[in-house]
Amino acid sequence: MYLTTFGIVLVFFIVGALFVAVGLFTAALVRPKNPTPEKLRTYESGEIPMGSPWIQFNNRFYIIGLAYIIFDVELVLLFPWSVVYKTLGWYSFIAMVIFLMILIIGLVYDWAKGYLEWDKPNPVIPQLNELIIHRKKVNKEN
Amino acid sequence: MIPLIITLLLPLISSLLILFMNKENVKLIKYFTLISSLITFLISLFLLFNFNNTNPDIQYYINVTWVSSLDAGFRIGLDGMSLLLVMLITFISPIAILSSFDSIKTREKEYYFMILLLQFAMVGVFTALDTFLFYIFWELILIPMYFIIGIWGGKNRLYATVKFFIFTMVGSLFMLVAIIWLGNYVGNEILKTGFTTDYLKIKEVANLIPLNYQNWLFWAFAISFFIKVPLFPLHTWLPDAHTEAPTAGSVILAAILLKMGTYGLIRFNLEFFTSASIANASLISIFAVIGIIYGALVAAIQTDIKKLVAYSSVSHLGFVVLGIFSMTAIGIQGAIIQMVNHGLSTGMLFLLVGIIYERRHTREISEYGGIARIMPVYATFFAIAMFSSVGLPGLNGFVGEYLTLIGAFTSPILNSWGYAIAASTGVIFAAVYLLWMYQRVFFGTVDNPSNLNLKDLSKREWAFLVPIVIFIVWIGLHPSTFTNISENSTRKLVNKIENVKFGITPYPELLKNSNLKTNSNQINNNKIGK
Amino acid sequence: MTITQSYLNNLMASVGYFAPEIAIVVTFIVAILFDLMFKKSKNIAAYISIIGLIITGFILSGNIGISKSLFDGLIVVDPYSTFFKFLFLITTILIMVMSLSYKELYDNNRKVGEYYSMLVGITFGMFLLASAVNLITIYLSIEILSLSSYVLAGYTKEIRRASEASLKYVIYGSLSSGIMVYGMSLLYGATMTLDVAKINVAILSGHVELFPIIIGGLMILVGFGYKMSAVPFHYWTPDVYEGAPITITSYLSVASKAAGFAVFIRFFKDLYLLPATSDINIWNTISNFHWQTIVAVLSVLTMTVGNFVALWQENVKRLLAYSSIAHAGYILMAVVVMTNVGITSILLYFVFYMIMNLGAFFVAQLFANKIGSDDLKDYIGLGYRSPVLAVLMTVFLISLTGLPPTAGFIGKFYIFTAVLDKGFVWLAVIGVLNSVVSLFYYAKIFRNMFLRSVADDTKNNFKFSAPAFPLSIAYVLAFATILFGLYFSPILNWAENSVTMFK
Repeated sequence: MYLTTFGIVLVFFIVGALFVAVGLFTAALVRPKNPTPEKLRTYESGEIPMGSPWIQFNNRFYIIGLAYIIFDVELVLLFPWSVVYKTLGWYSFIAMVIFLMILIIGLVYDWAKGYLEWDKPNPVIPQLNELIIHRKKVNKEN
Repeated sequence: MIPLIITLLLPLISSLLILFMNKENVKLIKYFTLISSLITFLISLFLLFNFNNTNPDIQYYINVTWVSSLDAGFRIGLDGMSLLLVMLITFISPIAILSSFDSIKTREKEYYFMILLLQFAMVGVFTALDTFLFYIFWELILIPMYFIIGIWGGKNRLYATVKFFIFTMVGSLFMLVAIIWLGNYVGNEILKTGFTTDYLKIKEVANLIPLNYQNWLFWAFAISFFIKVPLFPLHTWLPDAHTEAPTAGSVILAAILLKMGTYGLIRFNLEFFTSASIANASLISIFAVIGIIYGALVAAIQTDIKKLVAYSSVSHLGFVVLGIFSMTAIGIQGAIIQMVNHGLSTGMLFLLVGIIYERRHTREISEYGGIARIMPVYATFFAIAMFSSVGLPGLNGFVGEYLTLIGAFTSPILNSWGYAIAASTGVIFAAVYLLWMYQRVFFGTVDNPSNLNLKDLSKREWAFLVPIVIFIVWIGLHPSTFTNISENSTRKLVNKIENVKFGITPYPELLKNSNLKTNSNQINNNKIGK
Repeated sequence: MTITQSYLNNLMASVGYFAPEIAIVVTFIVAILFDLMFKKSKNIAAYISIIGLIITGFILSGNIGISKSLFDGLIVVDPYSTFFKFLFLITTILIMVMSLSYKELYDNNRKVGEYYSMLVGITFGMFLLASAVNLITIYLSIEILSLSSYVLAGYTKEIRRASEASLKYVIYGSLSSGIMVYGMSLLYGATMTLDVAKINVAILSGHVELFPIIIGGLMILVGFGYKMSAVPFHYWTPDVYEGAPITITSYLSVASKAAGFAVFIRFFKDLYLLPATSDINIWNTISNFHWQTIVAVLSVLTMTVGNFVALWQENVKRLLAYSSIAHAGYILMAVVVMTNVGITSILLYFVFYMIMNLGAFFVAQLFANKIGSDDLKDYIGLGYRSPVLAVLMTVFLISLTGLPPTAGFIGKFYIFTAVLDKGFVWLAVIGVLNSVVSLFYYAKIFRNMFLRSVADDTKNNFKFSAPAFPLSIAYVLAFATILFGLYFSPILNWAENSVTMFK
């Protein structure tokens, strides 16, 4: 039973892979080949990339992103609720208020901790405390 | 009953009281410990005088339920055999305490706390009539002993403690598995009343367990006891522990802790797994005989007096095991009296070694020579202890060894003279190594100048040596004072053994006791069942 | 609209029994808000959390003896879960109290409000986990539990080993929870339901493919095994335990492990054993697949690896970490038999394990406060520098070894009873041999403390003790360790009553 159901999926994958491979292969056979240095650049628009793309992003992007996603998902819950809340009555209203309160507390927390400010006036760079690093010296006496 | 409870609990209470004493006030702690152990001894005399020698069963029985789901209880009591050993504990403990007054000079509070805790646990082991309780006391011994050897011991003490700890632990954990299996099997399969650890209940029916299971259980218990005894291949922890322990530790170790093993063999292996004991008797006797000879030979080449005495213990305890597994009334009686003897004579030897070690801080035989001229009293005491250990007729050692050898000789279960003949060579070797050592230490000229100013025994040392000498002579001249106490308990056990093996009861006068009848009926049922 | 209405009714009926969890959430929120509002008082979140959890305990005691399915079978309230919830609560409160005196945590003028509220968060996850009977709730609660633990493991972030611990924890954790969720999807795919009891019914009906069920079960085992730190899913344990703040280490080694076992036992018991009658062992008859053997092998591996690796450790925290792996192995022995006796012994063991393990870690923490190190060689002579703490430590270690007269002995005794009751003598013997090994390394600690003396350099020779309040906590734990070694019937009865709904 599973083999047949998954078999369809497998056939789908194989066909999909073949579709791409065959397309590229035939194109390579048919198309004219005329390389220039400009064509080999990353961006054909003419932008020349500078430095390595492997740089560390500021993790404030990450925090803002998280906050955004939470409130985005909240909307997903609010829509169906708003459709039926008349039939459910006060109970559901109170429930949703509590839910929103919890989320708002999260936002307040972010705010109070200063995560919503983009320009931090006095950034604190964390220091590694090297004194308490685990010693790996083996004690022969034991 | 009340004297028994006091004998058991007084050391515990005193040890807890010591915890509240001022650390600086060493004198108070010392004398408090001594007096408490003396009171314990006096109270234990009540046990002796009220004991009914004609009754082969458990006396002073106390049964308080503890954990109902395990049927584990605080069940204690004494029969003839355990009474003798409890008396030995209460007698030796004050002596051991008195002997450490000068030798222990650091952390006295902790030391006396540990000693009293140890005494509590030892009395517990010999009185417990519940496998669960027994195991708890058995393991409780380890902790104070570990610290006594480890903190107040000699140079190589770390190694000795770890070895002692690990050896004992390996054995006792197998016993734990066996105790649980036994409780489960007896409770759920035989009696069908649920898990039990009640010694008396298990004793009645344990021999109904099929022989192949019995064999496993027998060995699980026996390994644990053999390590403690120690029997020949498992003895290696003993010399280390003895040499490194402080004097009082050695005394207690030799006098009492080793007896836990032999006591356990009689109490559990013979009583519970009678069939398996009969089946394995010859094998174990062979090891016992090897132990007797091996211990004596190794003792002969020691250069350290304490180590020599330690190896002599291996040899002496071999006699005890041989006596037990001869499974005759004489042999087991001999084993019991030999346990007491060994406690007295070896204990005394360790005390004497401790006395000279305190003065000279060496135990090498070659360092001494001609001590008899400088310390005549000391030499006399040493001679008594040594002759007792050798087994000179008229002193206690002779009685024990003689009875065990007779037992082994006449045993219908071993059924061979070989064991007794081989073992009696051990007596000869004992004479050799002890007399040779005595000659090298005490006779000849004083050629080591540092020996010239040794002081003879002090009053305190007199005080703890004389009582031992009294008992050494008493047992030697009139052993029946002591053998009478345990005689009926032993005979009852032998009745059970011979009933299983041959279907006869050699001591029919004990059959009046209804307990035994049910016992033999069940054994007969067992035979029919097979 | 009747469906919605009935759903709503069910919801309202359930909320009452869900009150302890709600109380925890309220505690969490209040703790965070107060921490924001009163910036001057450092420990306000701690006090609020402790008070909140104590109130939760009172509310939870209303659930004692109640057996009910909540929220359309998403979670249940039964004596089993209530037992574990009390265990989690007590552990959390103890850990919070211990944290108050933890020096490393308060170093560098660090803000600790989140630390305490995160502990509340973990408690919430564990509460859910103990009650979860639905694949989704199981997964969600494990994630709630894990996410908070990741943060807490790296809470002292300027210490490099803490950051390392946290990162390792995240990586291993996400891998194993990924595998687990894949296994859950297989189960769902095979039976078309997420409810554990319904999956069981579907399996018993005999109309489902068994292969994905077994593979799915094994994959879920990975997730649980990770929480229980059973070998071979234990790799994160030593690094995380060593790196994390010591309070969190002890917390993870007790509460998080207990939560893993709680869900593991319920899940496998419900899924593969219920309603197994005494003669037909469906566990085994599912296409002759020997679950018992797998768990037994897991158990043997766990305790052996834990114990043998612990032998070589030079750091007390790390040593206790490996020993806690070994303890998971002992507990797994009782899981093998899966009888009510076995589960009772597990519950009992966890109560005792909580007391003695928290105690040992707590004393190690008090030592670390003063001597600034967890290395075994720095423990030399502590018996004379700080006799009280050293004696307390010895009590806990003896109990961990399983020597009488301590609680640890009773715990082990019951586990061996359960194992031997079903005739697994070989397993019991391996357990016993492992106990001997464990004796060796536990003895190493108190050997260093008492049997070796300090070198005479005055720098390391100062005497010290702990402040009165932490010391009294340690006293209470040690007292309980010995008390439960002698008198444990109430706990035993409680544990026995907590497993009655199985079978």
